[in-house]
Amino acid sequence: MRAAPAAALAAVWALAAWWLWRTSVPGSLHLPHLDEHRFFSASQLHAAASFSRFGELTWAGGSLCQLAVLAVYARYGARFSRESAAGPIGTGMLLGMLGFALVWLAELPFGVADLWWQRRHHVSYVGYVDFLFGDWLALAAQFLFLCLALAIVMGLARLVGRWWWLPAAPLFVGVALLFAFVTPWLLPTHRLDDPSLRAAAVRLEAKEGVSRTPVVVQDVRDVTSLPNAEAAGLGPSRRIVLFDTLLDGRFTEPELRVVVAHEAGHVARGHIWKSVGWYALFAFPGTFLLALAVRRRGGMGEAAAIPLALLVLVVLGLLALPFQNAISRHMEAEADWRALVTTRDPAAAVGLFRRFVPTTLDDPNPSTLDYVLFENHPTLLQRIAMAKAYERYAAGAAQSP
Amino acid sequence: MDPHPIVLTVDDDLRRNRLTVFFRLLLAIPHFLWLFVWSLVMFFAAILHWFVALVAGRPAGGLHRFMCSYLRYQVHLTAYLTLAGNPYPGFLGEEGEYPVDVELPAEPQRQPRLTILFRLLLAVPALLLSSAFAGTGGAQFQYGRGVNARASGGGTIAFACAFLGWFASLVQGRMPKGLRDAALYGIGYSAQTGAYLLLVTDRYPNSDPTALLGGIERPPVHPVRIVGEPHDLRRSRLTVFFRLLLALPHLVWVSLWGVAVVLVSIPNWFVALFGGRPARPLHRFAARWVRYRLHVGSFLYLVANPFPGFAGAEGSYPLDLELPDERRQDRWRTAFRILLAIPALIVDAALGWALLVASVLTWFYALVRGSAPWGLRNLSAYALRYDAQTYAYLLLVTDAYPHASPLEGAEAELPPDHEPALHPLA
Repeated sequence: MRAAPAAALAAVWALAAWWLWRTSVPGSLHLPHLDEHRFFSASQLHAAASFSRFGELTWAGGSLCQLAVLAVYARYGARFSRESAAGPIGTGMLLGMLGFALVWLAELPFGVADLWWQRRHHVSYVGYVDFLFGDWLALAAQFLFLCLALAIVMGLARLVGRWWWLPAAPLFVGVALLFAFVTPWLLPTHRLDDPSLRAAAVRLEAKEGVSRTPVVVQDVRDVTSLPNAEAAGLGPSRRIVLFDTLLDGRFTEPELRVVVAHEAGHVARGHIWKSVGWYALFAFPGTFLLALAVRRRGGMGEAAAIPLALLVLVVLGLLALPFQNAISRHMEAEADWRALVTTRDPAAAVGLFRRFVPTTLDDPNPSTLDYVLFENHPTLLQRIAMAKAYERYAAGAAQSP
Repeated sequence: MDPHPIVLTVDDDLRRNRLTVFFRLLLAIPHFLWLFVWSLVMFFAAILHWFVALVAGRPAGGLHRFMCSYLRYQVHLTAYLTLAGNPYPGFLGEEGEYPVDVELPAEPQRQPRLTILFRLLLAVPALLLSSAFAGTGGAQFQYGRGVNARASGGGTIAFACAFLGWFASLVQGRMPKGLRDAALYGIGYSAQTGAYLLLVTDRYPNSDPTALLGGIERPPVHPVRIVGEPHDLRRSRLTVFFRLLLALPHLVWVSLWGVAVVLVSIPNWFVALFGGRPARPLHRFAARWVRYRLHVGSFLYLVANPFPGFAGAEGSYPLDLELPDERRQDRWRTAFRILLAIPALIVDAALGWALLVASVLTWFYALVRGSAPWGLRNLSAYALRYDAQTYAYLLLVTDAYPHASPLEGAEAELPPDHEPALHPLA
């Protein structure tokens, strides 16, 4: 009898996932197989592969360390309850913060190593002292968010028992929505000065039906040389943010138009809404699994369950990573397609993606493991292949009666 | 534990001559000049003193007496400047010539060479704390750049007490006991620090207010006082290491609650002004916040070990606050409460600086030893207690003015091996 509701829920989940997965990229589009050596020099490929490899190693080391620390903490962390004079929720917050702090501390050497590598390749200009002590505000915000999350979960668990995850998941979705909404206002940005790019942005946005989406610039050149852009915000807060590193003369105007069109594509296709939707789809089973995992420790209402809950959360996060990347790649591919359709300039797109290799040191054709675990965008070779496919697609469309 | 060899002796009746109080800084000008000359000589004498002591394992008798005179003179002059003493001090730092005096070892003592070698380094924590108290002393002078250090913010407690005491003495012809005691505390600690640095003793300064002011009469018990278990000095190293981050949710909560308390205090002020006593629910709301603030402060500044609860419940924390019920309050004091609280807020800010220094030092100590030092713990408890009294006064929880004396708060806070003759500090 219990299978029927479960099956119904699974069907609803699958239906929602199908709806969110829909894309405007033509199903008939076939990406050609490309030889990376046609587009990139051997030294560029070598530099990108070498750079990525170290990043993968530090990620793997950091993740293993994180898991090891949390495993030990899950086993012994409940002992720190005796360091608390607060009630169960307060004690749970203490245990959560301690676990988080230990993970932060354990991962610090890997972060420093990664920074060293990025500085060595002139990708980051952040100083070691700044890295260690300059970002306390962000760390403090994470601690506070953790406390808030624990207060919500533990409060609900104590209120409604083992079904806490049912009201908690929508609550977290609400928090995610709130973050998505306010984030653009938290970014220090300024107006785009380049009048021709501004005019181009107006035209491209009009083509996409997302007129009046502000294009703003975020100054990051003091901390990184990486070029990047993003679509952020919902409704009145939505905007396209360009890193000033994109505008430092390394990219041509047609290439920058592709970037703006790509971000406008995100806005037009409602990708931030969809991201929140995907988050919601994962939040329900995620919180359910969390509730299931800590049941033997008394459930999420008990402070003693928190160390284990942290471990479970991290494991679930790691397991979800390939799926998250796949979803992200899917949406990025759609934004690429929208950029090609609106700019009708596949040559500029190819030029942009080719230039990303020396500027970002991104491996254009990574290994499958790298692709599954790290790539939240299509590979640069795939993106070039899409531009090539668009050329043929557009030519075919022009020839058809 | 043996009593500290550097003992402050006080024979002061709190009476002050208004005329000398009014012109005190001007009258002290000859002393400033004399101190400058003496300090110059001391700089070279202290270096010589250090070499002799390092070689011989014991300071030379003549130099020792010279150091003692200098330290004593510092105590006399600082007491005069901070209004902790009334008469004009002599220029030679002679023993027994001033009502605020210091007992120093008559003869030089043998000291471990290693501690002599690293004396300057070892004295750094005490110097930091001393700078928050009285901010004077041969200790700082020996740096050579001590003048800069002194000018840059040391002596906040002594300065606050002198500043407020000046007005009070001019009006009343008496120095308030609380301010006098607080200034004495700073003077005593600075004297111990100077004595340690100048090799008069190898005993480290003791910041425990009760030990420092052991011979002084204690003030009456304040209705807002700290109670609870003071002897548990154990500290969890892990929670100590992350203490600031762990305190973040409390800091946010105490701020939010504080905003509500301020808003509630406005109608409560009217109720207290016209009704003669604050409204019970509003009083309880504010009292809870004051208690919660103490819990958070105790956790943040390492005065206590456990993570506190968020409700400020009575008896929920090892260091707790006893608060009065809503009693009838003097209407005049209620009417001018904010103005009247300004002096207390000044002292509170000065003590806050000492609290910060003490907590940083405790942090390092607790990380290494897994416990808090008794002296620093008591100093911090004193600062927190005064803070609680100040906010209780400001928020109409009580109309009893905060008492700045480090000795207030009475019973049973002695460690198991502590001298029973000393007065405890809650």
